[in-house]
Amino acid sequence: MSIAVLPGDPGELTDPIGTRRELVRNSARRSLARRRLLGRIAIGLCVAATAVSLTPLVALAAYTTGRGLHALSWGFLTHIPTPPGIPGGGISNAIVGSVVIVGLASAMAIPVGIMAALFLIERRGRTANGLRFAADVLTGVPSIAIGIFAYAVFVEPLGHFSGLAGSFALAVLMSPIVIRASEAAMQSVPRDLWEAGLALGIRRSRVVRSVVLRGALPGLVTGNLLAVARAVGETAPLLFTVLGSQLFETNPLQPMAAMPLAIYSDSTAAFPAAQQIAWGAAFVLLVLVLVLSVVARLVSSRLNRQAH
Amino acid sequence: MNPTLLEEVPPPRRTPVRGVRETLQRRGARPSGRTYALLRWAGATLFASVVLALVVSLLVSSSQAFGHSGLSFFWSGTYNASKSIYPTGIFIIGTLITTTVAIVLAVPVGVGTAALLSEFAPKWLAGPLSIMIDLIAAVPSIVVGLWGLLVLTPVFAHHVEPFLKKVPVVEWFFHGAALGPSMLLAGTVLAVMILPTIVALSRTALASVAVEDREAARALGATRWQVVRTAVVPGARTGIEAAATLAVGRALGETIAVAMVIGNTYVLPHSLLAPGATLGSAIINNFAEASPGLDRSSVIGLVVVLLVMTALVNIGGQLLLRSRLRVKAA
Repeated sequence: MSIAVLPGDPGELTDPIGTRRELVRNSARRSLARRRLLGRIAIGLCVAATAVSLTPLVALAAYTTGRGLHALSWGFLTHIPTPPGIPGGGISNAIVGSVVIVGLASAMAIPVGIMAALFLIERRGRTANGLRFAADVLTGVPSIAIGIFAYAVFVEPLGHFSGLAGSFALAVLMSPIVIRASEAAMQSVPRDLWEAGLALGIRRSRVVRSVVLRGALPGLVTGNLLAVARAVGETAPLLFTVLGSQLFETNPLQPMAAMPLAIYSDSTAAFPAAQQIAWGAAFVLLVLVLVLSVVARLVSSRLNRQAH
Repeated sequence: MNPTLLEEVPPPRRTPVRGVRETLQRRGARPSGRTYALLRWAGATLFASVVLALVVSLLVSSSQAFGHSGLSFFWSGTYNASKSIYPTGIFIIGTLITTTVAIVLAVPVGVGTAALLSEFAPKWLAGPLSIMIDLIAAVPSIVVGLWGLLVLTPVFAHHVEPFLKKVPVVEWFFHGAALGPSMLLAGTVLAVMILPTIVALSRTALASVAVEDREAARALGATRWQVVRTAVVPGARTGIEAAATLAVGRALGETIAVAMVIGNTYVLPHSLLAPGATLGSAIINNFAEASPGLDRSSVIGLVVVLLVMTALVNIGGQLLLRSRLRVKAA
């Protein structure tokens, strides 16, 4: 390591100056050594933090995979649960239930969310800010509160639990994510393209459909897939709306099974066979959520590559 | 003017506008401007009314309980028909304790991890690790809860909790029997749940600090660590605080995983090893059995209390963010 050399001809050096230079050099060296040591300690702490944070996360994923693969079989995916005590049984009803419930939720949340996002894009000012604030507030609302709200507006008036009530709860949960993600995606479409379309004398709705929605498509897909991935794993909004079921039920007006509910009820059961089913269902759910997130990521990275 | 120079001017780039025009001319534009405006308004109105309906419906449903107990609801709750109590105060304390444990565990570790990934680790290591943590952030809370219940609980009961009771000074927080389900376990499960979020958001905040700031610090002779401490962390502070706020909000509102590992007893916790209850776990465990009327209204009152707590945290976080940004802009 080189220390800045003091100016002056070395030949002219007298003894006191040489001593002083030596002093400066030494103290600089000591300071650097101290600062480097401190840096090494700090980086060491960061490495330790990373190890500490990776351990439970990796253990969680590895354990779920290990136990889940153990439980997994073709019959597990295609059969409905057996009564307690009888071996075998699967989660086909929960898989179908989750797909139906989340599908209906997406059918409600995504069109409304995209329309609301268009509203935010087209209209600035107080109304739009208020709506944006509402979306932010709803993002922070605990999912159990949304579940109880769906219970109050759907289950209580109708008098029975239903898959549709769960879909409504998940749609409420998804909508702020859909709105903010769609708004961001549409904002990334250059303003020039809007103006070019409008300058051609084309109706606004047509410009939005052919230019804005098409240009924002990758971003829309990513944002909505992430919202779906979030909804698939939610338990609390389904607990008091969908209720859960041991039967194969595809009618969303009836109580249905869902994967998070199956995991919840099986994990709290005392006998090991139920816990086995819980691990299997957790693994299937984990794979589903990860696949959705990976696809969302691939779409957005393709978008980034195209932009560059 | 030199003619050769003119020739070297590149031809105008093919702008996407041309493609736009072709698309638009191929299919005639239908007169649907009014429909579009209507749809836009409908989407916005529908969303706004759902948010409004959520708040109003919860307030109306809980009004009976608040009317019955008044302000004392916030501490002692309401007596229900079967004479069991919903002690709101104990749930609030339980929620605050588990959230604090989660934040104390997750924030330093998460920010440290983010610093390593964004500043110190080589790219071949940081890239895959970051993607992995981003993906783990999507793991559903029920899976974390299942793991906490079936794997962490025995580990805590037999190893972690007895060990903590032996450590001097620290053991002051860990009186009582090591049972497994406890405030500590619930806080740990919450910490695991919020950790990926904290890492992902802090990493983004750290990485977005300008290169010029880093170079300036480096040019003044700072070591790599000093660059991070003096230039990068102050620049990313707002983002890190936002990440922590979001994590607090999530920890407050998490219900299912906590209900699985906290033990669900309704007494004032005297140590971190004591089982307890949070607002969320109490709602989950009591809503199904609550009979219509005052009983159910009291449980929904707990939902309102939880809603107010998370709203305060989120709005506080937003205000903090905005005020910081304004200071920066000025």
